[in-house]
Amino acid sequence: MTPALETRGLSIAFGGLKAVDAVSFSATRNKITTVIGPNGAGKTTLFNLISGGLRPASGTVMLDGRNVTGFGPAALQGSGLARSFQITNLFFELTVRENLGLAAQTLDPVINAFFPVGRRGRAADKVDELIERFGFAAKAHELVAALSHGEQRRLEIAMCLASEPQILMLDEPTQGMSHGDTEETARLIRSLSTEVTVLLIEHDIGLVMSLSDHVVVMHQGRKLSEGAPAEVRSDPAVQAAYFGHG
Amino acid sequence: MLDRLDISLRANHVLFVILFTAAFVFGVMASMTGDRFYLRLATEALILSGLALSIDILLGFTGLLSLGQALFFGVGAYVSALVLREVPSFWLALGAASGASLVAGVVGGLIANRVRGVYFALITFGMAQIVAKIIYNTRSLGASDGLIGIPVVEIPLGFVTLSAGNPLEFFLVVLGGITLIYAGMSYVLSSPFGRVMIALKANEKRVPYLGYSTWAPRMVAYVLAAVIAGTVGGLYPMLRGFVSPELMFFSASGDALIMVIIGGSGTLVGAIWGAILLVAFKSVVGSWTEHHLIIVGLMFMAAVLFMKRGLIGLVKPMIERRLVRIEAAREMRKEGKAP
Repeated sequence: MTPALETRGLSIAFGGLKAVDAVSFSATRNKITTVIGPNGAGKTTLFNLISGGLRPASGTVMLDGRNVTGFGPAALQGSGLARSFQITNLFFELTVRENLGLAAQTLDPVINAFFPVGRRGRAADKVDELIERFGFAAKAHELVAALSHGEQRRLEIAMCLASEPQILMLDEPTQGMSHGDTEETARLIRSLSTEVTVLLIEHDIGLVMSLSDHVVVMHQGRKLSEGAPAEVRSDPAVQAAYFGHG
Repeated sequence: MLDRLDISLRANHVLFVILFTAAFVFGVMASMTGDRFYLRLATEALILSGLALSIDILLGFTGLLSLGQALFFGVGAYVSALVLREVPSFWLALGAASGASLVAGVVGGLIANRVRGVYFALITFGMAQIVAKIIYNTRSLGASDGLIGIPVVEIPLGFVTLSAGNPLEFFLVVLGGITLIYAGMSYVLSSPFGRVMIALKANEKRVPYLGYSTWAPRMVAYVLAAVIAGTVGGLYPMLRGFVSPELMFFSASGDALIMVIIGGSGTLVGAIWGAILLVAFKSVVGSWTEHHLIIVGLMFMAAVLFMKRGLIGLVKPMIERRLVRIEAAREMRKEGKAP
């Protein structure tokens, strides 16, 4: 079966620094693949290369067997890829509902762009569903700027789901969350993996081990190891580079 | 419950209805007292409010600072003047002004939208200055004197024919035009496309990751603003009977920007209130002292420092709260009736 997402020899350098160096891996459909590695290993840069934020110097990105190398973020989003950001990246002056509406309105046919934003239609239904599912019912009309950090992080994930993507890329979704929020988010991500392919960057090793189906370890821009969580954990090279420090 | 953006638009409508009513009453009363001067001045204020509104589309919604919006106002004014000197037809002149500003907007947009932020502001400024200088030095366009001798036109509206020479009639035509522009732009902003424009101002970097082009909506906003500025510019020679290169100078763009800031950006209606206030203020204070621009400058600074949402910002939150209460009451009634 063709993997949902595959990279081959993906590379980019900033000046002399090889931020991502010939990284090849694939993410299986409806599984959770996690990219781990110490700070500066190139995880977020890898995400930017895949999601169109950066153009790779060499290598290819395949979605569902289709070459999408060099596509911009909007085109990739149209191809079914959605991503969240490590640093909360939302429309702070708009309400929760308006944020989700913006993300969901791509579901409606283009002709709808010429009529007032509706209460009905696929996009509106999707927004209602996400508000329910993510527990924003009481805060739907609050400005995003007024939400707590944990709520903003949750909204980041909801925004990605609004366009019904096939591949969901989450860059440290639990960053800065309380312990309780982190566990809740982990449950949420696990439940999502039945509908989408999840690609995750995560620092919390406990979470990585319990959540992931497949782990890719990066170190200094290169892929150091990959495999099932237990395999990776027992890999001596990984232990030296990563767990050894932690 | 309504989205905050819908509430905001409705509050703008309330403020627009107040403005429209006040303008209408003023027009009729001024006409009854036989006044020409103030009616002409008010008509000019309304024409300039269209230019201010076009700046607000860019600044208040899309997050683009244009320092040369008068370029399109001037293009509209000159094209309208040239047409009127050959064929004194209101609709032909207005159509030509809109068409020419559409072309100018597309060309200007292709140039200015290559860059962002301060560079965008500088390019819009530069383009306006260049075109103004070219016209200033082109003899066939009247050079520094501008074009004079524009005839008074009849305005056939189907059911009635008005005259641009009658102060009240022309005032009402311009008021109707501004109402159409305001309503049209409000409609655009309430659409999903409008939401993307607003998203560009709020957080442009996130927009492509939601699947939208950032260039296309910026470009559409720019061209829309250009066409609005050009269309109201086309009305200018009908009022004044002449056009001059000063219409495109930075002072014109800057004045319109001050109108937006004082009135309140991001509201559409604030630009119109701002235009009326600034024109009235300049006329009144200008009759006391020739240094009235110092006072305008101080007002601008005060608005930037102390009234981030302009004069509209002082009353709009009150109207919004009231609208939310009305809407909540309506929903309660609806739920009460449901079985």
